[in-house]
Amino acid sequence: MIANLLDGIVLGLQFGLLAGGLTMVYGLGGVLNLAYGQMAVVSAMVVVLSMEAGLGPIPAVVVGLVAGGLLGLLLDLTILRPVYRLHGEARVLLSLLLTLGLAFMVDGFLSWRYPTKALTLRIGGGPVELLGVRMVRGGVVASVITILVLGGLLLFFRKTTLGRAVRSVIEDEEGARLVGVDPQRMLRLILILTGVLAALVAVTRSLVTPVSVTAGFELTVSALIVTVVGGLGSVGGAILAGLILGMISTVAASSIGTVLSLIILLVAAAVTILIRPSGLLGVEE
Amino acid sequence: MIEGYTEGTGTAVVGGTERRASRSLVALLGPVALVGALLSLVPLWLGDSRVMMGVAVLGLTFACYAVGFNLIFGSTGQLFLCVGALAGIGGYGSAIFADKVGLPILASMLLATLASSLIGGLLSWIAVRRSLGVIFTGIITLIFSLVFGNLVLGAAGITGGDGGFHIQAGADTFLRQTIPPYYLMLALLLVFVLSHGLLRRSHVGWAFRALRDDEVAAELAGVDVSRYRVYAAVIGAAMLGLSGSLFAFTEGTISPTTYGFAQVDVETMVMLAFGGIGSLFGPVLGAAVFTVIDELIQGLGQLRLLVYGALIIALFLWVPRGIIPTLGDLMRRRQE
Repeated sequence: MIANLLDGIVLGLQFGLLAGGLTMVYGLGGVLNLAYGQMAVVSAMVVVLSMEAGLGPIPAVVVGLVAGGLLGLLLDLTILRPVYRLHGEARVLLSLLLTLGLAFMVDGFLSWRYPTKALTLRIGGGPVELLGVRMVRGGVVASVITILVLGGLLLFFRKTTLGRAVRSVIEDEEGARLVGVDPQRMLRLILILTGVLAALVAVTRSLVTPVSVTAGFELTVSALIVTVVGGLGSVGGAILAGLILGMISTVAASSIGTVLSLIILLVAAAVTILIRPSGLLGVEE
Repeated sequence: MIEGYTEGTGTAVVGGTERRASRSLVALLGPVALVGALLSLVPLWLGDSRVMMGVAVLGLTFACYAVGFNLIFGSTGQLFLCVGALAGIGGYGSAIFADKVGLPILASMLLATLASSLIGGLLSWIAVRRSLGVIFTGIITLIFSLVFGNLVLGAAGITGGDGGFHIQAGADTFLRQTIPPYYLMLALLLVFVLSHGLLRRSHVGWAFRALRDDEVAAELAGVDVSRYRVYAAVIGAAMLGLSGSLFAFTEGTISPTTYGFAQVDVETMVMLAFGGIGSLFGPVLGAAVFTVIDELIQGLGQLRLLVYGALIIALFLWVPRGIIPTLGDLMRRRQE
């Protein structure tokens, strides 16, 4: 049981990190990025290709993170341009349709060009003892990295001027504009940041299981569900929802099998959304 | 929300095209008969090839799906991302009723259609009761799609799991011949289009238009918005279930990908968006064009996905309202 819970935390932290990126972009710009999982997969492929080209694992990961950031920038400069001209629900809808199209393009290209590639990073050394349970070292390392990054994000949002500027846009775009914050620039910054986060999710995930070329859709859908359960726009909610859903998923998977556990996870998510459409930590509109 | 729709861009997808819907029955029957006549010529051209007729039947099935989805999304603005799942309830349901329970084919089709209609209505009722917007309705129905997919995989004892199963019922009848399934499916499509047309001319159609143009005003004018939403979902889901089940019997074999989200929902949405969301013949045009495109790029393998993605982007950027409404506008402007 404890082992399952710890596994759930490992998974949940990754869910949280993934959903955190999606939710920030939504909260900040009303943009729902359905190509988010694909951004992670592209970064993973960049890491694989860099390693095949002879780079060591750490430099390759750095290249992958940079690639993730560049993808975010590219998104902002290209297909999101027309989205920015709309407002409200129309904006969300166009953004999700265009990024869905992009997701298909990426999936199609990658599975045509690199049908069998997958990113697997291995960390040497035996299992780690934690609360009397032996944990796979990769999972522990992945969780530590994720916790550090999430902590860094929270600090960034609470302590730095830039982070506060970003939050001001989420809370009140007009007000932020009045005090001299440019929402458009903040959005670009956050898109780059979430690109890096997507790449990081791919890297930490590959410490536990291989990240294959076709993982994009599944990553996006998990991120979307975790985001909605946590409350659109709330990073804290995303982390909380990620942890809860992660633990439900691993505990259920070990006791009743993968397929049923997935169904339980989905039903739990649906029930949460129906009871509290604004999410666990979302703001009631 | 209303502000978004009136901007006329991007996601004015639920935009109006039927403002000038004519009230004479001829104006509805004429075009339906014309489309039917044109489509009934296809077997003369492709009838020799079993493969090509299979493609044509699939195209008609998608046109049926698009009409059902159009009724739910286009007419009442409910983003149902469970087209494949509702069709799958019809397909798997009727195949299981016929093969494992032993009911007659027609009875099992009706039962499965009823099931998918009830579930569609239930989903809509939940969305209406919780007043979920477009996005949340989309997410809840997407979750329903995923649950359905996992149920099919999980109940491998009845559904055959990943590999699906061959349907015994109707194996040696006209349902598995080359030409008859095409005309059956065509008849179904014409009935669907006709019903949608008749619905739009009735008071239900007026309510649909009112709630789509301005939900608050409709509510104030005494239109029971939520009731009509649920009606649309019940009818639309029945269409999806019925076409899904007929397709299963003509195909003779079903598997999770027959009704998968990526295979059915995305394609239906693209077809409808291309033809024109909310327009009567948009689903037929979209399905026809994309069936041909799909055949043309068959050789590209996985790159087909890339082409589809690019088409989605181009479509929503440049012809967000679809071909038929855009052309209709152009012609009307010419006349004036």
